[in-house]
Amino acid sequence: MSNQPVLELKNVTMQFGGVKALNQVNLQVNKGEICALIGPNGAGKTTVFNVVTGVYVPTDGEILFNGKSLKGKNRHKITKMGIARTFQNVRLFGEMTSLENVITATDVHNKSGLVGSILNTPRSRREEKAGREKAHEILKFMGIDHRSDQLAKNLPYGDQRRLEIARALGTSPEIVLLDEPAAGFNPSEKKSLAELIVKIRDRGYTVLLIEHDMSLIMGISDRVAVLDFGEKIADDLPSVVQNNPKVIEAYLGVPADAS
Amino acid sequence: MPFNLRDTGATLWANSNKWQRYLIAGVIIVGAFALPLLEGTFLNTPRTPFVSVLFYPIGVYVLMALGLNVVVGKSGLLDLGYVAFYAVGAYTAGILSMHTKLNTWEILPVGIALAMLSGFVLGAAVLRLRGDYLAIVTLGFGEIIRITALNSSAVGGANGISNIPNPPTTFGFTFDLESDRNYYWVVLILIIITILIIRGLSARRPGRAWESIRQDEDVAELMGVNTYKYKLWAFVFGASVGGAAGVLFASKAMFIAPNIFNYNISILILAFVVFGGMGNIWGVVFGAVLLSYIPERIRFISEARMLIFGLVLIIMMNLRPDGLLPRKKREKIGIAGGEIK
Ligand SMILES: Nc1ncnc2c1ncn2[C@@H]1O[C@H](COP(=O)(O)OP(=O)(O)OP(=O)(O)O)[C@@H](O)[C@H]1O
Ligand SMILES: [Mg+2]
Repeated sequence: MSNQPVLELKNVTMQFGGVKALNQVNLQVNKGEICALIGPNGAGKTTVFNVVTGVYVPTDGEILFNGKSLKGKNRHKITKMGIARTFQNVRLFGEMTSLENVITATDVHNKSGLVGSILNTPRSRREEKAGREKAHEILKFMGIDHRSDQLAKNLPYGDQRRLEIARALGTSPEIVLLDEPAAGFNPSEKKSLAELIVKIRDRGYTVLLIEHDMSLIMGISDRVAVLDFGEKIADDLPSVVQNNPKVIEAYLGVPADAS
Repeated sequence: MPFNLRDTGATLWANSNKWQRYLIAGVIIVGAFALPLLEGTFLNTPRTPFVSVLFYPIGVYVLMALGLNVVVGKSGLLDLGYVAFYAVGAYTAGILSMHTKLNTWEILPVGIALAMLSGFVLGAAVLRLRGDYLAIVTLGFGEIIRITALNSSAVGGANGISNIPNPPTTFGFTFDLESDRNYYWVVLILIIITILIIRGLSARRPGRAWESIRQDEDVAELMGVNTYKYKLWAFVFGASVGGAAGVLFASKAMFIAPNIFNYNISILILAFVVFGGMGNIWGVVFGAVLLSYIPERIRFISEARMLIFGLVLIIMMNLRPDGLLPRKKREKIGIAGGEIK
């Protein structure tokens, strides 16, 4: 693991009316690490994903990807640059098969468009074939290749969550933002997902992970950043953060020494 | 399992090899070309010659339904002003035949190009809008085109344009008042080309982009789909088909006027798409054929026929809310480990 930053938030503020969902947040995610983003409900975690992927334009501050500002970039451009995400509430293309969900994501780097598709040019044929192969490969990696031809909406819940990750990987990202990928999982499902996330990191992707389950976080993260009411209150190694009184207070709602 | 035409057809196709597919396609195409032979059978339409009905309304409306289906059915963009592109095509034919010596086949690409251009301009302006807003603005656009024509003396105002020439004799096929069959064959060729193009698009990147936009536009954009560009393409493609239909219609009718292009046509074509099964090519073809044929067939009960037509629509949509042949589900059932919900 290096200290080369892939993603940097600099003094990012996101205000919704009177609510400051993010207040002067600084965050750095380094190449090849699993960085966890934790915090109580409503702390602003998903909002971090939303400002990074261009869903919202931050009220203030700057976001850099590999040193380049994301300011004014379209969402699909940001994805093409190498940032992919999943959604806290599964948002697959339900009426497409699993395979098509992933192929749609691989299309982002393709060159052929309407005319190439109508004429079925060699490039279009090549890209279609490559997309299909890549999608199969990713589904296999995620352990759901046997679901390829099933409609996403008919997949069991756990596989839908995995397909969300597969689709994100389909865009060939440098960094994947996973929003509570283990939500609703039982302990053994969580364990296997944690192993999968490590495998994803080992493949060379950088991971920014929102998760509520502390044991999962502590087990696999290289670093943990903690948000509370839109402010970052800690950012350190898991073992250090775990004992940070501010963090304990944020989670328990009382000062650590009072309990 | 109850008989399901869509799945039966899809399975048959999926299980066929290349030559069997050519055979199936060949039979369908030959059958379609042979439809004029049914003249004089129980299918005959009482007031208008059967073969002329095959061209208009059936052929022209099938063509338009195919074009609108890409916009509404595949991409989920509710366009209530589709008649505008039909009008642009028809008026292109009218105006060019007034001022130039171009024949129908030379006018056709111009009409298509101008329809695409108007689709592009409208799309660029309104495709940032969604849902109801898009529907209302497109409805307005359709009316604007008609009202502009109505108030432009250069295109004849309310009187429209008459004496639009028929297509020239081509490969020995004549195009005059007697040649309904040849007109039908021309529109059929355009329909086949359109189906081939749409099939090519649907199976590849643009089809996936449209499908993802229809299902969840925000997520599509976040997965790297340039949603604005693909919505615009859907619009432009739909417009091109509408424009082609307009040129063809004008060249046979020889006369066009603004009131032909009122918003009823937009609604009617939309009804074909919804009735047939949004997004499914064959559903849309069947829907358009049935719904444009039935009113002609029952023309003898003149006044009541639109009432009956409406009743059929209502009953149908209650029995099959997803349309006659809904979008193909494309799911292979019974594969290893896949439980069926
Ligand atoms: N579009 C929006 N408009 C108004 N307020 C918003 C919007 N998006 C988020 N917020 C507010 O910003 C705050 C942070 O929300 P966010 O979804 O980022 O929390 P979170 O940390 O992801 O919480 P959870 O663990 O429940 O998912 C909340 O108070 C939320 O109500
Ligand atoms: Mg959240």
